[in-house]
Amino acid sequence: MPLPGYSPLVEGYFTHPAGAGPWPQDAGPIAVGDAGREDLGTRVRFELRCVSGIVTGARFQAFGCPHTIAAAAWLAEHLPGRALESANPMPILELGELLEVPTEKLGRLLVVEDALQAAVENARLIRRMGPESNAEQVQGI
Amino acid sequence: MTPTCVYMDNAATTPVDPRVAEVMIECLTADGCFANPSSTGHAPGNAARARVEKARAQVAALIGAESTAIVWTSGATESNNLALLGVARAQRERGRHLVTARTEHKAVLDPCKQLEKEGFEVTYLKPGADGIVRQDAVAAALRNDTLLVSLMQANNEIGVIQDVGAVGKLCRERGVLLHVDAAQSAGKVRIDVNEQCIDLLSLTAHKAYGPKGIGALYVRRQPRPLMLPLVFGGGQEWGLRSGTLPTHQIVGMGRAYEIAGRELASESERLVALRERLWAGLQPLGDIELNGHPTERVAGLLNVSFAGVEGESLLYALPKLAVSTGSACTSASHEASYVLRALGRSDQLAQSSLRFSLGRFSSESDVDYAIGTVSEAVRRLRRLAPSSVAS
Repeated sequence: MPLPGYSPLVEGYFTHPAGAGPWPQDAGPIAVGDAGREDLGTRVRFELRCVSGIVTGARFQAFGCPHTIAAAAWLAEHLPGRALESANPMPILELGELLEVPTEKLGRLLVVEDALQAAVENARLIRRMGPESNAEQVQGI
Repeated sequence: MTPTCVYMDNAATTPVDPRVAEVMIECLTADGCFANPSSTGHAPGNAARARVEKARAQVAALIGAESTAIVWTSGATESNNLALLGVARAQRERGRHLVTARTEHKAVLDPCKQLEKEGFEVTYLKPGADGIVRQDAVAAALRNDTLLVSLMQANNEIGVIQDVGAVGKLCRERGVLLHVDAAQSAGKVRIDVNEQCIDLLSLTAHKAYGPKGIGALYVRRQPRPLMLPLVFGGGQEWGLRSGTLPTHQIVGMGRAYEIAGRELASESERLVALRERLWAGLQPLGDIELNGHPTERVAGLLNVSFAGVEGESLLYALPKLAVSTGSACTSASHEASYVLRALGRSDQLAQSSLRFSLGRFSSESDVDYAIGTVSEAVRRLRRLAPSSVAS
């Protein structure tokens, strides 16, 4: 039974966060997006693998509350198969409703959205620069 | 066997000891001591009064006081309010300055803020990194118009023990009243109000295996500080706290304090051993920090910051361990513990702290379970965090 304040969906993604952790070092070009600060309580990183403008795999790392981890895990699970042009599987406020995130914590989901947006931008840049480019070259742009 | 829930939040509240519950039940039903203890015109009322006075003597004995110095209240919050507001309002012509510490409980800080609205000045002392307020800091803060110093004997979050006796002597020399919040220390640390020069002392039952909703304020008798009541009505408790006395709760508090006094030494020794077992068991995790003084603290309390994990997630990852966190992070503000911040901890470390408070019913197997489940949760959350955080 989930603790008060957390939906079963949050509990599920928090307990079994598919896509958690970084890609292996030899996984090829990876687009990275980072947002937030740990001293403010929330920091999220997404790592995307893409082929021909399509997300083929997504992983995340998160320092944050259970809602933050669940939101990042949900997005990582639903990103594969989506085109970079419309990569976000669900507007973040709708995801907040789906996960039953309290209104006062929605700001933390914006950090998740910022990290994903940064990763998508990074992936688009890698694509424009060609397959020889890598995340290290463009990270932070 | 995995336990349903291991309780390590005894600093928040304790279960009622069965020995306490037994005497409380005797004061509830028609065949027991249910009468109003103020109804001394008949035998049942006198019987209830006798039980109340026995409990008063039991509470007084734990702190080395006379029975007549004990005023029943609803708990330490009310006792703190009565002490601070009662003295300040009654003696406002004598002075308008109070001294306390930034790490006090809200039940002291909020009455101080109320007094500031009423024209008083309050000095909030900053403790050292170990959580202890130095005697010389208190001395430096005293002024000619200082009425009262209020300090807790044991901090509720980090458990550090303040040498209130040294502060008491200083205050007595300077003609300033000393109020001590002993909610966390009564029954755990030796208290002698005369030896420690304490004028007012707040007590509660529910942190010492007694019932919730009952407490007491020790008010020195010779000389008695001039005070005004907060509650008016039947004039009970020498006019300081009106209201029908709850015999069953008072009797429970008396019995709880009697047991606590008798078992203080042996229980402290047992709890220190459990606390050290817990601290040693968490060491392999690395990047953990003890909050508060390493030795000057109550026996069963351990407050630890875990670098690289977020407090709310850590607590959520421990569904079968009842502990509290240093973060008020279910709110939008994500505000870290003001006590840990006052000690100089960063927001991140303050938010990722856990308070383990062991108690009378804690066992070695409870401690071993806590070590295992906390270690697993911390390692998992550190793996989950972006690498620069977890490093």
